[in-house]
Amino acid sequence: MKIFVTGATGYIGHSLSLKLAEQENTIHVLVRDAQSGFVPQHPNIRVFEGDARERSSILSAMRECEQVFHTAASIKLWVKNPDDIFKTNVEGTANVLTAAREENISRLVFTSTCGVIGPSLKEPMTENDPRIIGFAIDYELSKKMAEDMVLQYAKKGMNALVVCPAKVHGPGKVSHGIAANSMIERFLKKGIAVVPFPGTYKSCFAFIDDVVEGHLLAMEKGRSGEKYILGGINITHRDFFDCIRTITENKGHIIQLSKNKIKGWALLQLLNYSIGGRHPFFTFKMINHMFSNYCFSSEKAIHELGYRITPLEQALQKTIQYLNQPLYA
Amino acid sequence: MPKKMYTLITGASEGLGKAFALECAKRNMNLVLVALPHSGLEELSHFIERNFSVSVHSFEKDLCDSASCHELFFEVQKRGLHLQMLINNAGIGSTITFGEGTIALYEKQIKLNVLATTIITRLFLDNLERNTPSYILNVGSMASFFFLPKKQVYGGTKSYIHFFSKSLRKEVKRDGIRVSVLCPGGINTNLSVTLLNKTGTWLSKLSIMDPEQVAPIAIDGLLKGKAVIVPGMLNNFFMLLDKLLPEYIKTMITNYGMKKMKPDDQYSRLLRKRVAA
Repeated sequence: MKIFVTGATGYIGHSLSLKLAEQENTIHVLVRDAQSGFVPQHPNIRVFEGDARERSSILSAMRECEQVFHTAASIKLWVKNPDDIFKTNVEGTANVLTAAREENISRLVFTSTCGVIGPSLKEPMTENDPRIIGFAIDYELSKKMAEDMVLQYAKKGMNALVVCPAKVHGPGKVSHGIAANSMIERFLKKGIAVVPFPGTYKSCFAFIDDVVEGHLLAMEKGRSGEKYILGGINITHRDFFDCIRTITENKGHIIQLSKNKIKGWALLQLLNYSIGGRHPFFTFKMINHMFSNYCFSSEKAIHELGYRITPLEQALQKTIQYLNQPLYA
Repeated sequence: MPKKMYTLITGASEGLGKAFALECAKRNMNLVLVALPHSGLEELSHFIERNFSVSVHSFEKDLCDSASCHELFFEVQKRGLHLQMLINNAGIGSTITFGEGTIALYEKQIKLNVLATTIITRLFLDNLERNTPSYILNVGSMASFFFLPKKQVYGGTKSYIHFFSKSLRKEVKRDGIRVSVLCPGGINTNLSVTLLNKTGTWLSKLSIMDPEQVAPIAIDGLLKGKAVIVPGMLNNFFMLLDKLLPEYIKTMITNYGMKKMKPDDQYSRLLRKRVAA
């Protein structure tokens, strides 16, 4: 089968394309730069150069494909012009959807994020739970708009559904400064993990293999117009890093910072940006959000799709092994 | 056994109303939530019941229709719920030149913002009186202090709320009911407003707050018995300027603040197209 994948140079898209290619499918990937080191290499992968923000390049890459995985997104936490995020995530998705309609795609899976569902209170959040805070972060807002658009198309008859991965870790790209992989890497190499005080806030850590498998399961079994959380283990930050400590027998420090200290740190980063031009890896707007639980329930995906969650220790072992390699891809 | 007390919140399914519902639940208040049908009210009620130990009654009503206000009253009566707090939050906002807005919009806006608030307050006044000390919070707007372009009708309805609240406050104080009016600046209430808020000038963008920031300030203010609650440091600074500056400078500032607010921004268009589709 011919399958079109956007975002193949991204963390999830990359692993997903390779997995699909190994299953004897022909994969069309759309990348902005064919020379990029992140383009997945496999004899079954055909590389098309182009941009999700241009409809023409999507159309030619999508031609003859039966299925679409739309994983491409701008996940930058720091942009000079927030319009870029909306162009890629909202207009890009609109382009993919109209092209999919023109090309009579039989099924489309859109990769959103648990960030759209937002922070949790006592119980882990489900797909139907109301968001408890506003959309202050442009990335989350843009993904919400894109998600709504996909569900709207599904309502009008397109065979399309949405998956929402939680915080993903595991072999693959280290995408940005507060992504799970870079937090783990910093802990392994510098022996420091910075977590919001107290370290008892919980997050949902999903393993990349589970999330990729979840995408395949969603394509195979998911109901059109539905949304599925692809989560993992809900665990406090402290226990998470403790688990890494146990596995690696290292004596890394878990530093718990109060809101004000983190604000000070954000200010230093901002200074560093204006003087040295180095991009901050989190911003003021995000600080309030750090001091919340982000627990998600994968029950729906487990029941309807047969989604499976790798035990934390087992998943972390693979992640650590990968991040400890001298030079990973 | 003491009576079980409830807080009634209108327009509870989205934006500030939802933030009120969550904030009150956090403070262990039992809730009567009212919102439009199919607006996610059921999901919110279940969510609150799962995450907090409070009881929640929800009513799907379109309060633009005054008959629905009466229905709500009778249904609350029938269930025998005792109100100790009423939050008149439901309202329709708009940022549009007078000529561009439709008569239907203005009619709805006046019916909901002015009429529904009046009717509901009147209907539930006895109930509140029986459960003193009790509280009424009306959601006004900073637009009732500044004469902003593109906010003619909206600002007018909120001026009514401001007047109504302060006047009523004097009347019912001796009965043990405290009335406050909340006058927020821009809030990221729903998706389209959040997008619209991103189109303003730096000055207006800086003053935008999220609903989860506003709700606790409002409830604190109400419980303390403040007459007018203006949330946010910058908004309070604007209020101070309002007292100090001469009229012509204020006009310049308000005009500047609203200059770039354009509801026809590309993403709102995209969003509208999506809604229409």
